[in-house]
Amino acid sequence: MPNWSLNGPQIVLIIALIGSLASGLPKGADAHPHVWATVRSEVVFGPENKITGIKQAWTFDEFYSAMAVQGLDANGDGVYTKEELEELAKVNVDSLQEFDYFTFVREAGDESFLPLKGPEDYWVEYGDTVLTLHFTLPLKTPIDPGAKGVTIDVYDPSFFVAFGFAEKNPVTVGGMAPGCTAKVDAPDAESAEAAKALSEAFFSQLGANSNYGSQFAQTALVKCEPR
Amino acid sequence: MRAPVTKILLGFVLALVVTMCAPLASAQTAPAAFGPSAQSQAAPPAFSGPAPHAAPLQAKGPFGSLLTWIAQTQQTMQRKLAATVKDLKSGNALVAGFWLAWGSFVYGIVHAAGPGHGKAIISSYVLANEETVRRGILISFLAAAVQGLMAVALVGVLVIAINGTGFQVNAWVAHLETASYALVFVVGFLLLVSALRRLWRRWTAAGSGHSYDAHAHAHAHAHAHAHHHHDHRHEDCEACGHIVDVRDIAGPMSWKKVLAVVFAVGIRPCSGAVLVLIFALAQGLFWAGVAATFAMAFGTAITVSVLATLALGSRQLALAADGQNASWVEAVWTVCAIGGALLVMTIGLLLFLTSLGPARPF
Repeated sequence: MPNWSLNGPQIVLIIALIGSLASGLPKGADAHPHVWATVRSEVVFGPENKITGIKQAWTFDEFYSAMAVQGLDANGDGVYTKEELEELAKVNVDSLQEFDYFTFVREAGDESFLPLKGPEDYWVEYGDTVLTLHFTLPLKTPIDPGAKGVTIDVYDPSFFVAFGFAEKNPVTVGGMAPGCTAKVDAPDAESAEAAKALSEAFFSQLGANSNYGSQFAQTALVKCEPR
Repeated sequence: MRAPVTKILLGFVLALVVTMCAPLASAQTAPAAFGPSAQSQAAPPAFSGPAPHAAPLQAKGPFGSLLTWIAQTQQTMQRKLAATVKDLKSGNALVAGFWLAWGSFVYGIVHAAGPGHGKAIISSYVLANEETVRRGILISFLAAAVQGLMAVALVGVLVIAINGTGFQVNAWVAHLETASYALVFVVGFLLLVSALRRLWRRWTAAGSGHSYDAHAHAHAHAHAHAHHHHDHRHEDCEACGHIVDVRDIAGPMSWKKVLAVVFAVGIRPCSGAVLVLIFALAQGLFWAGVAATFAMAFGTAITVSVLATLALGSRQLALAADGQNASWVEAVWTVCAIGGALLVMTIGLLLFLTSLGPARPF
């Protein structure tokens, strides 16, 4: 076989070509968003400046909104009441559990997430062709953010839903919490965590737990002045 | 093959023209065809204040700006599409109709440039088979057309005919996705089986490595006339330089195979098209959704065609790299046939397993 040795690199080339066709493609089906949601979060404070939970209001894009309310105008009067949309709200928050409510709360600088209880006070409202889902996520253990702070990320790791904080009043402080502030940090392109998120995202494209969406995560930081 | 491609292209254009013309007749009778914007439509019943606007998305990391650009472009386009559908009701229907078709077309191209939409499957399929560029384009367009038709049929039946809910539509899209991926896996498996069988037949027919030897090749060639009755198939191969013969590994084109892959990929309706259709329907403009769906499918088909053509082009390059060398040519065809079939199988299996995951909330 005189020519085989010459062709070795070419075979590698072909295999590389085929491989590049395959890489990143399958699970990547979710790697572009199909649903857009604008996030407004209220950090609920209880006694002693402790965060007791997060009140979420997610407003969806017009296309998804039309899809979600389709067929739910029971009396056909063109108005979608809270009662008519009750089932939608329930289905939404129930299936959100599998996805950790797309809400990730941490003590600033900590790796692990603070556990959340199931959603309370949930409902959806529809008007002006957009749908908004409201629900409250109580923290299992209320926490004092202190000067170091607590961070809240809202994102879909698979990036099927593109979450973005609202331009106006994205995070607010609710309840009696003197000296406490909440604001959204712009993503820091230089940070080590950002680089880590990217490499993770790059290698997890094929897996079932794609983390592509974390690159788009915006972080809200809640801090309290020492009293 | 030229005729079917032309027919399908014509079909797309016709479907577009017909659906785009439908509203013009009705728009002329509408008194407020040139009225103000859609803001005066229905007052929001329960919504407090205007809908909030999201801050622009931003991705981190070295490719952040590119990813951000892609995501933002899609968001901007989707918003424009929604605004255009609303404009059809209140603004200049002709202008809005043009922008809807154009916008959907571009959205289809961009949307399909992301993963999904059968690009990888179709590219691997044409790679595995003895397909030409024209056939690759034909398959891409047929698959996109079937995807568009499925979206229209799904929304037509579930929403218009039985006034089903968004949940039902979502569930059906999910079922069809799962079925599509399972079928893709089966198509890949059948491709692999037939490629291996042909390869086996070649090996047993060709004898013990005869054709891999350059000396034997020259020898057989020189004596081809003397051994005319020896082994016809073998001689053909030696005389015309292997290429026609080794293509056998990939197998000839057949409509059955083409339709199998078109059906497997196409029964999964494009979720983007389903959303546009339902939104248009909610605005009372189903035809606009249909037009947008086919314009979108047209754009998607172009992107998929380009990728399938690239796959074929790279095989051609590989073949040409050492076209005189029979064993090289044979190796390329073998790698493409088996590799392509394995790819189709793998993609089908991975997507199938993923589609069995928990139901998405949105």
